[in-house]
Amino acid sequence: MDHTIIFQPSGRRGLVPEGTTILDASRKLGVDIEAVCGELIVCGKCRVKIMEGKFQKEDITSSMNHLSSLDEKEKKVLKRKDAEEHVRLACCTKIYGDVLVFVPEASRTGKQVGSKAAGKIKVRLKPAVRKYYVELPEPNLDDPLGDFERIEKVLYGNNPKMKKLSIDYRALQKLPDILRKSDWKITVTVWNDAEIIRIEPGKVETNIGLAVDIGTTSVAGYLTDLTTGDVIVTESMMNPQVRYGEDVMSRISYCMFNEETGLKELQDTIIEGLNTIAKQATHKAGLSTDDISEMTLVCNTAMHHILLGINPEYMGVAPFTPALHHSVDIKAERFGIHILPAGNIHVLPIEAGFVGADNVGCLIADKPHKRKEMTLLIDIGTNGELVLGNRDKLISCSCATGPALEGAQIEFGMRAAPGAIERVKIDPETLEPAYKVIGSNRWSDGETNMQAKGICGSAIIDVIAEMFRARILKKNGQINHDLTSKRIRKNDKGLSEYVLAWKHETAIDADIVVNQKDVRAIQLAKGALYSGCLIMLRKLGIKKFDRLAIAGAFGSHIDKVAAMVIGMFPDCDLKKVEYIGNAAGDGARIALLSTDERKEANVIAREVEYVELALEEDFNDRFGEAMQFPHMFDEFPHLEGILPKETQTVS
Amino acid sequence: MATKEKEKELIKRLQDAIINYKVADAKQIAEEAVAVGADAYTVTMEGLAGGMEVVSEKFDSHEYFVPETLLCAKALYAALDVLKPHIKLQAGGARGQVVLGVMQGDVHDLGKNIIKAIFEASGWTVHDLGRDVPLQRFVEEQLKTDSDIVMLSAMMTTSMVGIKKLIPMIKEKNPKVKIMIGGAPITEKTVEEYGADITADNAPNALKEAMKMLETLRKGRAA
Repeated sequence: MDHTIIFQPSGRRGLVPEGTTILDASRKLGVDIEAVCGELIVCGKCRVKIMEGKFQKEDITSSMNHLSSLDEKEKKVLKRKDAEEHVRLACCTKIYGDVLVFVPEASRTGKQVGSKAAGKIKVRLKPAVRKYYVELPEPNLDDPLGDFERIEKVLYGNNPKMKKLSIDYRALQKLPDILRKSDWKITVTVWNDAEIIRIEPGKVETNIGLAVDIGTTSVAGYLTDLTTGDVIVTESMMNPQVRYGEDVMSRISYCMFNEETGLKELQDTIIEGLNTIAKQATHKAGLSTDDISEMTLVCNTAMHHILLGINPEYMGVAPFTPALHHSVDIKAERFGIHILPAGNIHVLPIEAGFVGADNVGCLIADKPHKRKEMTLLIDIGTNGELVLGNRDKLISCSCATGPALEGAQIEFGMRAAPGAIERVKIDPETLEPAYKVIGSNRWSDGETNMQAKGICGSAIIDVIAEMFRARILKKNGQINHDLTSKRIRKNDKGLSEYVLAWKHETAIDADIVVNQKDVRAIQLAKGALYSGCLIMLRKLGIKKFDRLAIAGAFGSHIDKVAAMVIGMFPDCDLKKVEYIGNAAGDGARIALLSTDERKEANVIAREVEYVELALEEDFNDRFGEAMQFPHMFDEFPHLEGILPKETQTVS
Repeated sequence: MATKEKEKELIKRLQDAIINYKVADAKQIAEEAVAVGADAYTVTMEGLAGGMEVVSEKFDSHEYFVPETLLCAKALYAALDVLKPHIKLQAGGARGQVVLGVMQGDVHDLGKNIIKAIFEASGWTVHDLGRDVPLQRFVEEQLKTDSDIVMLSAMMTTSMVGIKKLIPMIKEKNPKVKIMIGGAPITEKTVEEYGADITADNAPNALKEAMKMLETLRKGRAA
């Protein structure tokens, strides 16, 4: 009998025979789990977490009871490793029922590449948190003024803005001792010219903040020097909430299905993730987590609500109303976020139910509202968000692209990690492909074992574009069986597929193929983006844009020609396509460094006009037309010579 | 009255127009059929439904996808609008009746519209409630029309939840009514858990299942 096993965060799933170990299943499905000791139940590296319960989205009921029972040996290793509940060793645990397995970061081999590197930002430094070194006159019987008022007097004397200064009670508790031990020479950390949040002995110049971008799939933190604006450490990880569902909707519904506990579980999970990032980043920088004086956060609206512990149910259904738009400032200790306990957490404002603080981050990073030229900004993540406009007007919308463009929901899709095919070319004459695998510089030749494990997002777009260019795909997306190649075939279920890598080239003991369903998933995703672009252009009454800015960590890896060939966006001069990197994360850093930019963020978040695409009268028609390659009717003069000839004319 | 041969020719041309999504042609052929006095019911059932059947097959075999199906539906409606006023209901001719709509909180109606086209083409009466439909509306419409089947569509896991509440509300008023659910997040397990009768993964299959259910219902009534 076979059972379903799903691995998170990779999302790989498959059927395995009863009695298979989790480790064997992981190998079969191309999931990397560390197994240093060679399955001797010694190293304990292969620890995995077994999820308990019903998972609507995955359509699976997972339970610890679906596994072989714990024996003494495994128990010992787990105990040595201080393993939490529901943790098992993959090497010796056998499968006797459906399971959803979460592979923690530490148990994964092959770190994710294409991390959310920090981009260059321009900002006038005006952080909310400042440090002041003060030398106070020692009190005596003639001058018995209190310690706090003594500091206030000096600070106010130097800066009239600090008229109504207050002090956090934790800082207050430490104040008398520190003052006396440090000979009345101290460094005072002040937030927003209004509150003393930390007292340190002597002169301290390091002033640190953490800017975080919580994506649906990954989380990136930028430990930043507030005095220079430089990023000291970039730390990223998978969003640990992935184990509750790959997309926003499935996490919202998890909260809805598990009324009592769901929201709390998800909130705790992301807070634990933030704490890990804060800890690891400060550790690498030789600092302590208390040195982080403030944190700024960008994320989509659902992540925002869950992080704040606000029920996301109402923003998850029409009319998609968020709990608030304005930015939020909350003390770290109220969240259990481990930075300076009195430190502030600033969450950027949100535009609408499906255009969140991450999009506001993109706006303050790219500043389309300050430009004369018309910008079309596409932020491709697990959801696609579009902004169109210039200094006169901006409109935004959200496209339900789903995670297909990133490689999820694709039969052999995987994240950008070693072993993933990342670039593809297809010879239009022979129909033979050549591809490159992450971790190697050479192109495949059809013979050599490339140790390929799957296809990552950038290569999915490449391969679809190349298949279309080589006419392996018809304009309507159908795999073309009129061509003769042993690579074009039907699987045992009658589903058409194209073989990208033969079994002997892979590390997973199977051919890597792109099948008809994969093509359909990409058509839906790219059709959503393209039709979104068209409707936005129409809303502003313009025919074209002057500049296309592609944001998102994944967006930066896309080949722009391939993206236009499949029709992810309308025809434009390829020279005007700009990759702006992880603009959402850049926006979080900008907000960390400037209170003026925070104000601007609140203004712009309310000025952008949100367009609900699905409410457009003709949305379904436009969406349908945009599903073809590159589009059913639209012409692509800038792709002349690149597109196959007959597709340039309308049938 | 058109000759049998003429009628046959019109039906064939109408099928082709729908399969090849020629909207203007479909309309023009339907007008021609009316002008020559062909039987509107036969032309609809054999020309339109017959055409859509081929479209369904093409969808099943992955030759057609959503865009083509949408266009075919357009051609279908162009012809149906012309033919409908001329259809004389024959005894036992009308198929079943369905109440159809997208769940509250959900505005994605592409799937629902394809369902509607295919059902109307094969002679069903479809009471389309649109999208973002309040739960109570489904109950009321079912009672008002005495429809055989209520079809609920949800494209988001968040709007799917409403189905769980709605099914008991409908069944309480009318335990005999059949409930079909569909949409991206819905699986066989959802059917079981929510107490629905059936799901289908595409419009052609939905029609097949609806026909089966209708047969069972009618047998039940006759007995």
